[in-house]
Order: sequence, then C-alpha cells, then structure tokens
Amino acid sequence: MKKKMFVVSLISLVTVLSLLAACSPKPVAEEEPYEIAVVVKITGIPWFNVVETGVDKAAQELGVNAYQTGPAQADPAQQVKIIEDLISKGVDAIAVVPNDAKALEPVFEKAKEKGIIVITHESPDQVGTDYDFEAIDNVSFAQSAWDQLVRHMGDSGEYAIFVGGLTVPLHNFWADTGIAYAQEKYPNLTLVTERIPCGEDQELARQKTLELIKAYPDLKGIIGFGSLGPIGAAQALKEKGLTDQIAVVGNVIPSQAAPYLADGSLKEGILWNPADAGYGMVWLANYLLEGNEIESGVEIPGLGTVTVDGQVVKLDATLFITPENADSLGF
Amino acid sequence: MKKLLYRHETYVLLVIIVLAIVITAINPSFFTVENLFDLLKSTSLMGTFAIGMLFVLISGGIDMSFTAVATVTGYTIAVLLLKHGDSMNMALVFLVAGGLGILLGMLNAVFIYFFKIPSIITTIATQNIFYGLLTVVSEGKWLYGFPEWFDEFSSIRVFTLYSETGAPYGLSIITVIWFVLLVISWFILKHTVLGRSIYAMGGNIGSAQRAGFNIFGLTLFVYGYMGLMAGIGSVIQALLVQTVAPNSLVGKEMDVIAAVVLGGASLMGGTGSIPGMILGVSLIAILSNGLTLMRVPSQWYEVVIGLVIIISVGVSAYRRKKITRKRVITESN
Repeated sequence: MKKKMFVVSLISLVTVLSLLAACSPKPVAEEEPYEIAVVVKITGIPWFNVVETGVDKAAQELGVNAYQTGPAQADPAQQVKIIEDLISKGVDAIAVVPNDAKALEPVFEKAKEKGIIVITHESPDQVGTDYDFEAIDNVSFAQSAWDQLVRHMGDSGEYAIFVGGLTVPLHNFWADTGIAYAQEKYPNLTLVTERIPCGEDQELARQKTLELIKAYPDLKGIIGFGSLGPIGAAQALKEKGLTDQIAVVGNVIPSQAAPYLADGSLKEGILWNPADAGYGMVWLANYLLEGNEIESGVEIPGLGTVTVDGQVVKLDATLFITPENADSLGF
Repeated sequence: MKKLLYRHETYVLLVIIVLAIVITAINPSFFTVENLFDLLKSTSLMGTFAIGMLFVLISGGIDMSFTAVATVTGYTIAVLLLKHGDSMNMALVFLVAGGLGILLGMLNAVFIYFFKIPSIITTIATQNIFYGLLTVVSEGKWLYGFPEWFDEFSSIRVFTLYSETGAPYGLSIITVIWFVLLVISWFILKHTVLGRSIYAMGGNIGSAQRAGFNIFGLTLFVYGYMGLMAGIGSVIQALLVQTVAPNSLVGKEMDVIAAVVLGGASLMGGTGSIPGMILGVSLIAILSNGLTLMRVPSQWYEVVIGLVIIISVGVSAYRRKKITRKRVITESN
C-alpha cells in the first residue's frame, strides 16, 4: 500500500515536471541563436522585472535567445550556484548583476575556461569579467546624488547614508565616491555614522530612520541607495511630522515614490531606466559574440553612444525623478 | 528567590536592564516615552509572529513557513484593498488575512500529522510551495497605493503626546492589537485545558497520546494559531509600511525563532511562556534600536546581536547546569 502510494506520487511528480518543461519555449534547432543568460541579484522584485522587459526586448530585436534568471533571495551563494548550472548547460554568454563581487570570481574563471563571455552590471571593479556594463557613469551619478542632497538640505549640516547591503558593490562605490566628493565640494556636510544597510527593506529603513532622528537630533538629510530605503525614510518623517526638517533623496521606483514626492516627505529621486540596463547587457553580449571589439563611440541603438574605460562600458543615462515626472515614467 | 535563579527569564531581564542602562548613559533619548512607543510599534510585527512561534515550539514542533503564509495573506488583502478598497473595512481585512492564515497553517498540521513528516521538513517544503506559487501569481509586483482609510487606521493613537519639537507620538493602535493578542494567548497557555495540553504534547508526545490527548486536534490548533498570527502579522506589516512586497518577509524566520528561544522556549518542546517571549523579543528589539542610538557603526550590528544572544542563553544554561549538578551531588550524599 505504502509502496503503491510512493510510486503514484513519483509518477505524478514526473508528469507535472515534464508538463512544466514542455511549457517553456525551446529554441529552433537549425541555426541556433546565441544563448545569453542574465542573472540578476534577486528575481521577482519590481526593479528586476523592469530589467527583464529590456532583456526580452533585446532578445526579440537582436534575434538571440536571451532570458533572465536569478535567486529568490539576494543571496551570493545561490547566485553562484545558478551561474554554475548555466556553465554546465553551455550558454554562450552570462550577464550578471552581482550580490557579492568577490564571491563570483572563481565561477567567472570557470566560465572563461569554457569560452563563455562574462558581462557584469553594477560592479565596475569586478575581477574576472570581460566587460562591466553601466547605464550611467557611476562617478558622475554619485556626484549628482550629492548635488541633489545639497539642493534640498543646503550645503551644510548632518546627513546619513543608506545602502542595500555592506557588500553590494555599486551602492558602496557611490557612497565612497560621494563622500570623497562632498569633502572637496561641500566641506560643511557631516556624515553622522557609517552607512546603514537597510536600503532594500522598507520596514527596516523606516525603523532606522526613527532611530537616527533620536540619535542625531540635528540630522538634515538622508541619501538612500537601494530602492526601498528612501521610501521607508520618507514614511518615518511623515509619521514624525519632520518632512520640512529632513530632506530624503536617493534611488526610488517612480510609481511607488509618486505620493511621497507629492507630499514632500521625499524630495527627489535619482536613477536610470532599468530596462535600458537589461537591453544594454544583452546587446553588449551579442555584440561581443559576433566577434566585434567594443570601443568608445559605438552606438547602442535607442540608448546612445558608449564610453569605454578599461573594462567598463558605460552610457550616461542618469534619470532625475521629480514630483512632476514621477507619474509619467512608466515604471 | 532561589526559584528565580533557575529561571532563564531572569537572566534575559538582567541583560535587558544592563543594556538599557548602558544605552541610556550613552544616549539619554533611549529612555524616553517617545522612543518606547516607537519601539513598541515597530516591534509589534515581530512580536505577533513570535506568539505563533511560541505555541508551535511549546508543542514540540517548528514552523519555517509562517513568513510565506504571511506573504500570501498580505498579498491577498493588498489585492482586495486595491480592487474593492472602498467597500471594505478593517475588520474584514483582519478576517480575510486571519482566516486564510488559519487555513494554510492547518494544511501544515495535516501534513505533519498524517504523513508523520518532521515539522521542520514539512514547513520548509510548504514555505517553498506557498512562496513559490505566490511569486508565480504575483510576478513579484509590489503593491501600494491603498485606500486612505487604511493609511488613516495605521496612524490612530490611543492617546497622543507631543515632543519638544511638536511631533506627535503616542500608543499606536498597532501596539494595542499586539497587546490584545498577548493577553489572549497568555490566557490560553496558562489558564485553559487547551493550553496545558499543548505543554503536555510538547513535553512527551507519546505519554500525552496515551493519556488521551487529542493530538491531531492539538496539532491543528497550534499550526492554525501560527497561521492566524502570520495573517494578522501581515496586516500589521501592511499598516506599518503601506506597501506589500512579496519578498519582504521570507528569510526572516530565524530572527523570530531566535527571539522566542532567547525568551526561554526550547526547540525540544514543552517549555516557554508569553512573558519570556516578550523579554526575548524586547531584547532583540532594544539591542537593534540601541545600537543605532549608541552610534555604533553599522558593520558591527550583527556581531553584537550574535554575541548578546550567545551570552544570555549561555549564562542561563551554565547556571542551570551548575544548579542541577549541585543538586545531584547533594542528593547522592
């Protein structure tokens, strides 16, 4: 009886799996298009959903088999695992948005041994990548973020920084760059504490903001990297009626930020269009697979011309999100 | 007095008092009514999950799926609020979230009881199923822009005070909900046959069964109660941040389990109490709050939290071991 039950459940499991497998489209066998896998930090969050629209668009326009995948949690180990699987599967190129730059080095090495092209995004100092694609110039992006902060809090006073995590390469690069820039250009700005890792968790960002207000009563600004930090901060300020005293700026998803921008609890957002990033990664991978050399001045159709700086290929598409345009950006 | 020394809770309380003194010495704004109320409001979410977890741990099980259950219930009410927000009210929101939570929790109980799969395996599996299906259905979309009455409810205060800068604060309705749940749960555990049966079941499931306890009924109740707390927790979270993000809870199970175990519940079952759990949750909350207030650099947060957990559990375990050993020696003489 028990054995029978086991067999039945096994058979049904196999059936379900094969049905699911049949659902996913198979590339046509003749003249196989390049297979380009985009591995994001975490699947199923709005940011990477928008990235995916760019990946899909590029797949269609360029005639390649490009798709997006990634771990369910922003976990470096799971990301490594997924890339290992893709290597054994034998894809032509892998484009990765790293959770932890260091953790990926060995697996990138392995990919290169197999002749797979490796592209990263949001990780300019990545070791082991062929090229790192950036939708923005990270140095000028970080500086613009600080300029934005100063526009709203004035050029003197105390401020704090939120990042998504202490190992997220880009957030910390922006923070480093911005802090150095501020020391030069805005010497009267004081950073009150080390950057706080709460930018990808709205509830935590809200709580940390409430604590910051008490720990640093003279706080005048918060700059948040990671798209939930500024929203959480704005909420805390609204709760405390401090929206006029403390200016919040940083990365936000326009449609979510719109009401906060409208009531002034959030002053301004800074970002780029994530769909451009998805499109750009696939475009670059395909361009390299076709045997081209990438150099400054090459144009990505619809996105603009790139600048190549060492291993970094960048566009300059910084997007400022204001109360006026937040509703009309389409994501 | 001697009896107090046996109690794990005493040590947790001591750690809390020491911690509070240290934090206040460094930053007096910790020990203010305003911070207390803010802290209570923020803690209500974790505290609500912890109630359910306490019941499950006492019964000798564990539930890794409650964050996924809360994600499903949270998402469901968010969709309803966005579609039919004008014709809904708070009671209905709690009813839907709580009811769905109970159902999913009981589903866990059925698997655990009938297939005799260890609860940790069952609930890891159901966590993946619940969360996975939700990701498929929701495509990971964040939901926000709830009706105004939902936002207004979250800012209700039982009484309102004003800080020096004129910012309003007070006892939030969210904290009150948590307190009510605490009192009800304390009563169930301490003063009902049902509550005592859960302890019996967790103490020794074989004996409890032979003594005539309805183990299936108890399993259903315990996991259903965890599901109810997950459902209510999801409403609290939606009230707190006015956004439902499918990925915001899954992955936080261990924080809740750690807090409950810190409060004296055993992973072996049979022990634990509401007051202990409150202490455990408070310790974690105060610690995280205090670290920012003490201006500790953020890189050190996790290290310090880990150290405090191990010290408070370690000291109490060591004391208990010493006391039992002394007793064994005196008795054998």
